[in-house]
Amino acid sequence: MKVRRILYLAGAFFLVLVKFTIDLIGKNVELDFGGLPVIREIAAIGAFALVYLLLKATPVRNEISPVRKLGLALVGAGVLLLVCAIYSALDLAGFDSKSLSLVPLDYLTLFLGSLVSLVFGLFGIAVFLLMRDMILMNRKPSVRRNFGVLVGLILATALSTAWLRPLDSRVATGILFGLALIVAIVNSFRLPWIVGLTKKEKIFGLLYGFFLFVLFVILDVVVGGNTLVGRSLLYYSYPLREFVLLISVCVTIYAGLAFVSTLFHLPTAEAFDRKRSEVSSLHSLSRLVTQVFDFNELVDTVTAMTLEVVGASRCWLEVFPVSKDQPVTAGSEVLAGHQVRIAGMKNITREQIELLVPPGGENVRNDVIRGSKPLLVDKIEGDPRFPVWRHHKDVAGSLVVVPLISHAGLAGILYATKKEAFGFVKDDVDVISAFADQATVAIENSRLIRESIERERLFREMLVAQEMQKRLLPQFLPSHSSLDIDAISTPAFEVGGDYYDFVDFGDGRVGVIVGDVSGKGVSAAFYMSEMKGIFQALGRMYHSPKEFLTHANEALVCSIDKHSFVSVIYAMFELEKGRVTVARAGHCPLLRVSGDRATYVRPNGLGMGLRSGSIFENAIEEESFDLQEGDVCVLYTDGLTEARREEDEFGYERLLETTRNVRDRTAAEIKDAILSTVSDFTNHRANDDDVTLVIVKWKGSDPREDRAIRNRRRINE
Amino acid sequence: MSDFKIASREQENVNVLALKGYLDAHTAPKLEEAFQNLIASQHFKIVVNCKDLSYISSAGLGVFMAFIEDVRQNMGDIKLTNMSPKVYNVFDLLGFPLLYEIFKEENEAINRFFDKPK
Repeated sequence: MKVRRILYLAGAFFLVLVKFTIDLIGKNVELDFGGLPVIREIAAIGAFALVYLLLKATPVRNEISPVRKLGLALVGAGVLLLVCAIYSALDLAGFDSKSLSLVPLDYLTLFLGSLVSLVFGLFGIAVFLLMRDMILMNRKPSVRRNFGVLVGLILATALSTAWLRPLDSRVATGILFGLALIVAIVNSFRLPWIVGLTKKEKIFGLLYGFFLFVLFVILDVVVGGNTLVGRSLLYYSYPLREFVLLISVCVTIYAGLAFVSTLFHLPTAEAFDRKRSEVSSLHSLSRLVTQVFDFNELVDTVTAMTLEVVGASRCWLEVFPVSKDQPVTAGSEVLAGHQVRIAGMKNITREQIELLVPPGGENVRNDVIRGSKPLLVDKIEGDPRFPVWRHHKDVAGSLVVVPLISHAGLAGILYATKKEAFGFVKDDVDVISAFADQATVAIENSRLIRESIERERLFREMLVAQEMQKRLLPQFLPSHSSLDIDAISTPAFEVGGDYYDFVDFGDGRVGVIVGDVSGKGVSAAFYMSEMKGIFQALGRMYHSPKEFLTHANEALVCSIDKHSFVSVIYAMFELEKGRVTVARAGHCPLLRVSGDRATYVRPNGLGMGLRSGSIFENAIEEESFDLQEGDVCVLYTDGLTEARREEDEFGYERLLETTRNVRDRTAAEIKDAILSTVSDFTNHRANDDDVTLVIVKWKGSDPREDRAIRNRRRINE
Repeated sequence: MSDFKIASREQENVNVLALKGYLDAHTAPKLEEAFQNLIASQHFKIVVNCKDLSYISSAGLGVFMAFIEDVRQNMGDIKLTNMSPKVYNVFDLLGFPLLYEIFKEENEAINRFFDKPK
């Protein structure tokens, strides 16, 4: 980039030198030979073309503001006119016009004339580039096209005069000049930079535009007229003169229109400034809302911006505790109970706030809460809602009150006051509402964060509960050579109300218990752990299932609430005899598979916790049966049989069939087979009730184990 | 799933609640509310018709337990009728026939309220 710029500069310098040399020769000799006039013209045009490329490749222009560009052009034009004045005042010999050509009368004129022409050329190109930047700030294709046409016409006009003797006239040039002017006027309406100016900039723009217009009118006359400068340019290069003149006229038009347009923009400048500061404040506020979670900082920013943008003298925010169940209503408990949090106070004290919005009675707060829309009080004086205003005239003359409405209800109220009555216009209310919306988002955010922290805490608590409950279930299965046992319990939620346990009496008896607390979730889990306690405490004390259930019921019935109950099934295996005794407290029947025969064992019973004393005891029956080798007993909860597929449930029949089909397998395999059949049945949906399954397979009594048991019993006795 | 409806009507001073759909932990509060309303308005002779009840869970059974004491203390009763075999099985498993009078037909239950105590 830099190398290219140096090449442009060197090339231009060289061409200028060539031209100057030819001019020196031409002063004394008629230049009608050897194509010298052509070379002279090409050298001039080429030099300026390179200067144009050089300036265009200089990027610093982009960082200059439009008004500064106008200022630069103005300074340039001023300097140029000063140069013109000095040049004209030198009292030079001037040019002699002979046979339509101009010839400098002395070398000083030739030299200085060339220098002035070069300066004009440079200035013309520079000013043209500045104008181009300003017009092309509007990046629409049509604007670019129009400007391209203008450039084309300017070049065409300039080049159409090439190789003409300066005093020749040409119709085509005139027509092109006229066309270029029309296109210049069209282009001059492109003033996109004016809109974005601040009021101060607009005033400067106005002044600059005016002076630019004046100076360029003078330049037009100087360049276009029969002045020394004009003649110097004509002598130096006819195309250059045309070019500079056309540019000068274009800039004159542009400056004039810029002046007029800025003048029209001036009355709205203030409003525009305000809108712009509103937009930028809202923008920075909304960025803040998403980035900053410090509630106080956000509220402070909201009130500070409200002050700044609408020019309020005092401002504050009231934050209400938001809750869907208890929405804030006019005169509600929340307000009376001083739960209102006042935040972001600006230029006002709590005492002053209480005077303006007295607690209780008729006040603007209640009005806004009732109406749920912004309220504008133009004149506080005499308004019945401000009874003590008289004593605090300096606090406020007018007031805007805006509710902060979140989807959970009224989150708060934003207040802004001005000292004078009728201080706020409708626009101010809109702006304050916009700030209130941002404040609402901030409040909402901080609330959501608090809630999510709380949710996270509860979630962790539930994980702990789940872990605890897993530990309440047996960690080891009883191990006896005559029994093959496997068990599983899966809660529908984190914790559940299903329970199973084993008790090994150590005398050849093993008890298996499965229970189900009514309901699900946390409440069920608490009763489940209570069941565990009762079973661990009473299980070993009572050897008959009925006895155990009766006593367990007495323990449970006092603590359980009246619409909860626990269903339990208790199966006692006597290993020596190969016999099972089952009692059922309202629980699903035991499934017994013996060879091809599968039946449900369903002695009468009553759910635990429903009735106490003899009613319960009389309701419970025991049922015993002998075991054959390979018999399978299945204990389960209703989560298994009531597993759903749309309207259908898994049911007893399917459980029975499934178990019968896999009865020859081990307990673990039978358990897996049943679970996978249920899972297939429900299309692998997560279970919506707790599911528990215990499989006990009788492998036949083991004489060695029986002997060991008998020995142990003797020792115990 | 949670489609559950209660139609309430009064017949000869007996209030009949006809249940329809699924009575589980989600829909149980509806039935609770219905019982509460009856008790609050001093109606203690209640017949629950389970003809269109397609499912009842343990939480649903709990609702009956919650109010039976109140009702009986006020010389009333909750009687159940028209259960499908499946629903009856749930009541029966838990031993509810020991605690509640269960009838095949609604009329039998209503008439039962007017039987002279023997």
